[in-house]
Amino acid sequence: MEDYKYLFKVVLIGNAGVGKTCLVRRFTQGIFPPGQGATIGVDFMIKTVDIDGLKIKLQIWDTAGQERFRSITQSYYRSAHALILVYDVSAQPTFDCLPVWLREVEEYASPKVLRVLVGNKVDRDDREIPPAVGEAFSRMNNMYFIETSAKDCSNVDKLFQEIARELIQTMRNQRQETSQARQPGTIARTPIPMTGPLVNMRQLTLMAPPKSPGQNPTAASLDPPVL
Amino acid sequence: MSVWSTLSDSSFLEMLDTVLSKCDASYCCCGCCAALRPRYKRLVDNIFPVNPEDGLVRSNMDKLTFYSMSSPEKLDRIGEYLAQRVSRDIYRHRNPMVIIAMEAMDQLLLACHAQSLNLFVESFLKTVQKLLETTEPALQILASQSFVKFANIEEDTPSYHRRYDFFVSKFASLCHSNHPEVDVLNSLRLAGLRGIQGVVRKTVSDDLVENIWEPVHMDKIVPSLLYNMQHARPRRISNDGNNPNGHPEEQTDSENGARNIDPSSLAENCLRELVGRASFGNIRSVIKPVFKHLDLHELWVPNDFAIYTFRVIMYSIQVQYSYAVVENLMMHLDTSSRSRAKVRTSMANVLAKIISIAAGESVGPSVLEIVNSLLKHLKQSIMSAIPIDDAEAIIDEKQFQESLISALAEFAYHLPDYQKIEIMMFIIGRTPVAGEFDPNNVPAETLLQHMLLKCLLKVSYKYQSTNFSTSLPLTFLDPLLRTSLGQDAYVRVLVQEILHCLLDRHENRLKLKKPCIDICGLNLVFDKCSRADSLFYKNHGSRILVNLSESLDLTNVTRENIEAIYCTAALVCVELATDEMLVDILRWALAVQDVALTNTMLHPTNRLSLHVVALSIFILASHTMNVATLIEYSAQVVAARTGKAPLLLRFHEGAAEELQQDGILAECLLDFNTIADCMKEAGKDIMGMIPLQGPFNANQRYSWADSSLHQPSSFTDLSNINLDGAESNTSSPGVTRRYAEEEVTFEALKKVLAEPAESRREAEYEKRQIICEKFRNTPFQQLVASSSKGDVLNDTLNQILTRISIMPCQPELTAVQPNNQSLPLYGNNFPDLFVY
Repeated sequence: MEDYKYLFKVVLIGNAGVGKTCLVRRFTQGIFPPGQGATIGVDFMIKTVDIDGLKIKLQIWDTAGQERFRSITQSYYRSAHALILVYDVSAQPTFDCLPVWLREVEEYASPKVLRVLVGNKVDRDDREIPPAVGEAFSRMNNMYFIETSAKDCSNVDKLFQEIARELIQTMRNQRQETSQARQPGTIARTPIPMTGPLVNMRQLTLMAPPKSPGQNPTAASLDPPVL
Repeated sequence: MSVWSTLSDSSFLEMLDTVLSKCDASYCCCGCCAALRPRYKRLVDNIFPVNPEDGLVRSNMDKLTFYSMSSPEKLDRIGEYLAQRVSRDIYRHRNPMVIIAMEAMDQLLLACHAQSLNLFVESFLKTVQKLLETTEPALQILASQSFVKFANIEEDTPSYHRRYDFFVSKFASLCHSNHPEVDVLNSLRLAGLRGIQGVVRKTVSDDLVENIWEPVHMDKIVPSLLYNMQHARPRRISNDGNNPNGHPEEQTDSENGARNIDPSSLAENCLRELVGRASFGNIRSVIKPVFKHLDLHELWVPNDFAIYTFRVIMYSIQVQYSYAVVENLMMHLDTSSRSRAKVRTSMANVLAKIISIAAGESVGPSVLEIVNSLLKHLKQSIMSAIPIDDAEAIIDEKQFQESLISALAEFAYHLPDYQKIEIMMFIIGRTPVAGEFDPNNVPAETLLQHMLLKCLLKVSYKYQSTNFSTSLPLTFLDPLLRTSLGQDAYVRVLVQEILHCLLDRHENRLKLKKPCIDICGLNLVFDKCSRADSLFYKNHGSRILVNLSESLDLTNVTRENIEAIYCTAALVCVELATDEMLVDILRWALAVQDVALTNTMLHPTNRLSLHVVALSIFILASHTMNVATLIEYSAQVVAARTGKAPLLLRFHEGAAEELQQDGILAECLLDFNTIADCMKEAGKDIMGMIPLQGPFNANQRYSWADSSLHQPSSFTDLSNINLDGAESNTSSPGVTRRYAEEEVTFEALKKVLAEPAESRREAEYEKRQIICEKFRNTPFQQLVASSSKGDVLNDTLNQILTRISIMPCQPELTAVQPNNQSLPLYGNNFPDLFVY
C-alpha cells in the first residue's frame, strides 16, 4: 500500500534565527510558534502535498543554524533532493553569510540538488535586504528565489509546492531520459548542458509535455529561472 | 464502537463491511461477517479489543501466532494487513490501537522463524518508519523499541534492497531532541540512541546490507552520541577520568531500566560498542567526526571531555588498532597547526593521556612514525616565529612544547625497553649538534637541541637499564659523548643526566647526586659486575671516563656540571665494579685532582669542588671494591683535611679565596705513590697504575687518550695502552730497548712460568718509572734533541715510501705486513705504538 507517489527530501539551511523552524512548522502544522527556541541538531517533519492530483510526500529536515552543529547538519545535505537556503530580510548579516553556505552546499550536497533561496520575515518593517538584491544573488548562483513570511503565512505553502512540482518534473524527465536511452536504434541524444541545476531544470521543463497554463497556475509565480 | 472493519481497502469487502457495520452489535457482527474474510484478516482483526484500554487480546494473539507459524507463507500478508491498519490508526490518532498493533507485530517477529520473516520485515519496517514520522513522542519511542527488537533478530537471508538511511537520520535527529519536557526529552533521546545502537548492531555483522561505516552515516551517528555524552553530569566525566578502565557500570537493558539510565551513559555504551566493532579500515570514519565535533563544539579547551571521549575510544577499540587512533589524532594535530596554541596544547595533552594505552600494541615502524611526528611538531613549534612582544603566545607555545614532550615520554614509558633504546637513538639522530647549527637560526636550533635532549632525558628516565651493551650501544654512546663536550653548559648537564638514567640500575643516582665522603651512610645498592658489563667496560669504560675529565676541563664548567659529572663517574664506579675500573677510576680521581691543582683558568670555587670530587670518588671506589688499604688511606686523607683543610671536604659556596691552591698540604692530597703501595699491598693488579700526572690534561692527552678514542678495539683499554706506551721504548729517549729479555725460547718461556710474577712486574714497573722520570725531569730542549733521532726513522720511512710508491700497493699496508725485503730497513726502529 503506497500512500504517495514520490518521496522528496528537503533540507533547510541558513544562519541561526532566520526562521527555518517557523517556516517548517507553519507549513507542516499550520502554526507559528512564538518564542521558538534554537533547534538542536536536526529536526524532522513530514508533510504530504497534492500536486496535480499526485500525492507527494515531503520529508523535511530542519537543521540547526548554529555553527557548532555543522558537523551533523552537513551530513544531511547529501541525500537531499532540495535545499532551501533561508536568510532573514531584516538582518543583513544573515544575507552576507550566503556565500559561505553555498560553498558548504557545493562541498557536501549532491551537484544535482535543487537549490532555493528564501528571504524570510517579509512581514517585518525593518527590512534590510530589498527583494531585488536577493533576486540578483539567486540569479548569480542559479537558484530559485522566493520571499516568505512564516508569521503571516505568505508564500510558505507556495514555496514547498513549487519545490515539489519542480522535483516531480525533474523526476519525470529523468525517467524519460532513461527510457529514451534504452530504446534501441535511438540516434544519439543531444547532451543536456549540465552547467548548473537551474539550466538543467529549464531545459528539462522545455522538453516535458506541454502543460496548459490553467492547469498550472502557479508555475510562473516562482521567479523565472535565468539562463 | 468498533468501526475498523469498514476501512478495508478491498472494494468488495469494503462494501460488505459497510453493510455489516451498520449492525450495532459490532462484535457479534464481526463474528458473522468475519466468515467472509480471509482467515488471516479475521485472525488479525480478532486480536484487537473492543475497548482499546483492554489491550491486546492474548488468546487471539496466540491463535494468530500459531497460525502464522504453521503457515509461514501467510506471514507477509499478515504483516501487510497489520501495517495497513497501523497507518490508518495513526492517521486517525488512535494511538492505543497503534500500540496494540505494534505489540502484535513484535510478537510475530519474535515468534516466527527467520527464513519466513523476510517479507514480513518489510511491512514491519514500513510501520516503524510510519511511527517515526509522526510528531508524537510516545509513538516515536514505541517505534524505536520495536526497531531494537527487530535489530536483535538474526536474519539469515540478506536483504540487499533494504535501506537504513532514514532510520539513521531520524534516530540521529531524535538524539538531538529538545522537547520542552525533560522527561519526554530524555526518553526521546534514549529512543534515538537505542535506535542507533540497533541500526549498528543490525548492519555491522552483515556485509551484504548497507555499510554503516560510510561517512554519510557516521557523520550522523558519532556526533549524536557525543552530543549526548557531553551533556552528562560533570561528575561522571571526572570520575571516568580518574578511573580510565571504568567500563560502564551497568550493562544497559534496552527494554527495562529505561527510567534509571540517562542518555549520556547509554551514548557512551553505544560509542564503546561502535568503536569496538570498527575494523581497521573504518577507524578513520569513526574518528573523523569525533574531531569535527570537538572542534565545532570547542571542546578542546578545557579538554576534560576530549580526554574522556578518547579514553572511551581507546579502551573499547580492538587493541591492535589502538595506535591508529593515535595516528589520527596526530594527523588532526597536523591539520590544526594554525589553531591557537592552547587548542594544540590540549590536543597534545589528550595525546599524552591516551598514548600510553596504544603503546603496548605499537610495533616496528608505527612506533618511530609516532615519535617522528611528535618531533616534527616540536620542531615546527620551535621554528615558528612568534612575535617577541606577545608574551602570552610565547607561554602558550612553550606549554605546547612541554605537552608534546610529555606525550613522547608517556609513549616511551609504555614501550618495551628495546624500543626505548630505538627511540633514544632516533631522537639523538634528530638532535642538532652544536657547531652544525644553521647559522641563520641559532637560537631556535639551540632551543631545539635543548628540547630534544629533554625528550631524551624523559625517555631515558623511564628506561630500566639491564645490560649496558644494549642500553648504550656505540651508535648511541658516540653522539651522546660528543654532545657532552659542547659549548653549552646546560646541554652538558642534560647529557650527564641522560647518562645517569642509563647507567643507574639500582636507583643510586639520587644518593650520588652530590660528592660525599661518607659512603657508608648512603646505603648504596650494588651487584656484582656481570661478564657482559665488564666487557662493556673494557670497550667503552675508559672512553666515558676520558670524556668526563675532558668535560671537567672546559672553561665554562659550572657547579651543576661538576656535580653531574661526579654522579656519572660515581655510577660507573658502582655499576661497573671491576678491577680494571678500579685502576681507571683511581687514575681518574688523581687526574681530577691534578686539574684542580694546575688549571688556573677554572674558577677557584670549582677548583675546590674538584678536590672534593676527587676524594669522594676515591673513597667510593675503595669502598665498592672493598680494598681495606685504600679505605684506610682515604680515612687518613679525610682526617688530614678535617684538620687542616675542611674546605676540601664538601662543596662550599664562595669561600674559594681563602684557600690558595699552593697552600694545600701534601697530606691533604691524594698521593699517587701511596695509592700504588696500598694497591700492591692489597694484592691488586697495578698494571695501569703509572703515575701519569694529569693524563687527561689537554697537553698530554694526545699521547694516548686520543688513540683510545679513535680505536675502540680491545687493545685500547687503558692498561694495555699504558703497557704498550711504556714498552715502546725506542721512541723514548735515553732508554734502550731490551729485547734480549724477551727472547722466545723454550727456556725463556719456562722461566716465565717458573719465575714469580711479582719480580717481573717489579722490573717492568722500574722500567716505566725510568721512562717517566726521564720525561718529567729532563729539560724540554734535551727531550727534543734526544728525539731528533726520529729523523733517522723519518728518513728511512721516506726511503721506503718512495720505493713503494712505484708499486701499486698501499704504503700503509705494506708497512704493517711482514715484508721480507723491506724488513731490515724498518723492522728495528719502528716503535710498537705505530703498528697499532
